[in-house]
Amino acid sequence: MAESYETDFWKDANVRKMWDEIIPGEPRPTVPYLLTREAIELYCRAVGETNPLYLDEAYANSSAYRGLIAPPSIHILLMFACTPADDWMRSPGTINAGQSWSYNIPARPGDTITLQARALDKFIRRERLFVVHDNVFFNQHGEVICSGRGHTIRPR
Amino acid sequence: MTAFEQVSVGDTIPGPSFTVTRDSIRLFCEASLDYNPLHLDDDYMQGHFGKTQFGGVIMHGMTNFGLITRMITDWCCPLAAIHRRLETRWLKPVRLGDTIEPAGIVTAKHTTAASRWVMIDVTVCNQDGEQVARGEAMVEFPPSA
Repeated sequence: MAESYETDFWKDANVRKMWDEIIPGEPRPTVPYLLTREAIELYCRAVGETNPLYLDEAYANSSAYRGLIAPPSIHILLMFACTPADDWMRSPGTINAGQSWSYNIPARPGDTITLQARALDKFIRRERLFVVHDNVFFNQHGEVICSGRGHTIRPR
Repeated sequence: MTAFEQVSVGDTIPGPSFTVTRDSIRLFCEASLDYNPLHLDDDYMQGHFGKTQFGGVIMHGMTNFGLITRMITDWCCPLAAIHRRLETRWLKPVRLGDTIEPAGIVTAKHTTAASRWVMIDVTVCNQDGEQVARGEAMVEFPPSA
């Protein structure tokens, strides 16, 4: 999946929904994502994570988690990994204005992650176009990994 | 004394220092799959974004989130406690060459019917002492911790 990931966010930019077209409450199409150990290790490098629960299989196996897990903040990767290329989350100029996330159980290498997502609300404040995001990630057993709410400022 | 009992309101939690470079931003793009030109395209960032002008590429706001998470889990995992929630707001953009550092302070402890909880105020400051992000975290100390 990551191999075919489109890194040019300008591609398809003209077909993505703008603020006016976003309907609060409407589910966003999402794609399942196979979370690999390599993707977790790359994420750990990017933020300097050294916790052996994420990186040392022998240590993780002997821990209360009985195996490797991903850092809670792995949803940063999962958000884009589960979002198709024509989705407005990828619109150039999308500005993240803040987030809150609740964590239930950890994601693990080998999990197939699915996302249920939608805009929950939209409004204009201080001449800026805001959307409120509602996101829940699940593993292949249908268990909630984490749920989050975020605000983005949309490009005009 | 249990780990929960050893935690006191006012306890401080140190976080990791992080310097922002083009390489660190590029690595975060690859790790997060977030290739928004806000973080990559100098020419694009000379433009206006509504009322905002950045004047150059900026760090992903979620790097703050990842660093705060690292601080919280580095603190709570050895205590057998579980990071349960993080809420953040971005206050200022972080630019190339900036060095940022999260910090936490315990603000409250709560006991509910089934568990125990520690509330933490978090901030991320740059090298000039300016707050670039602020938030709150919640850590669970299960009865076994």
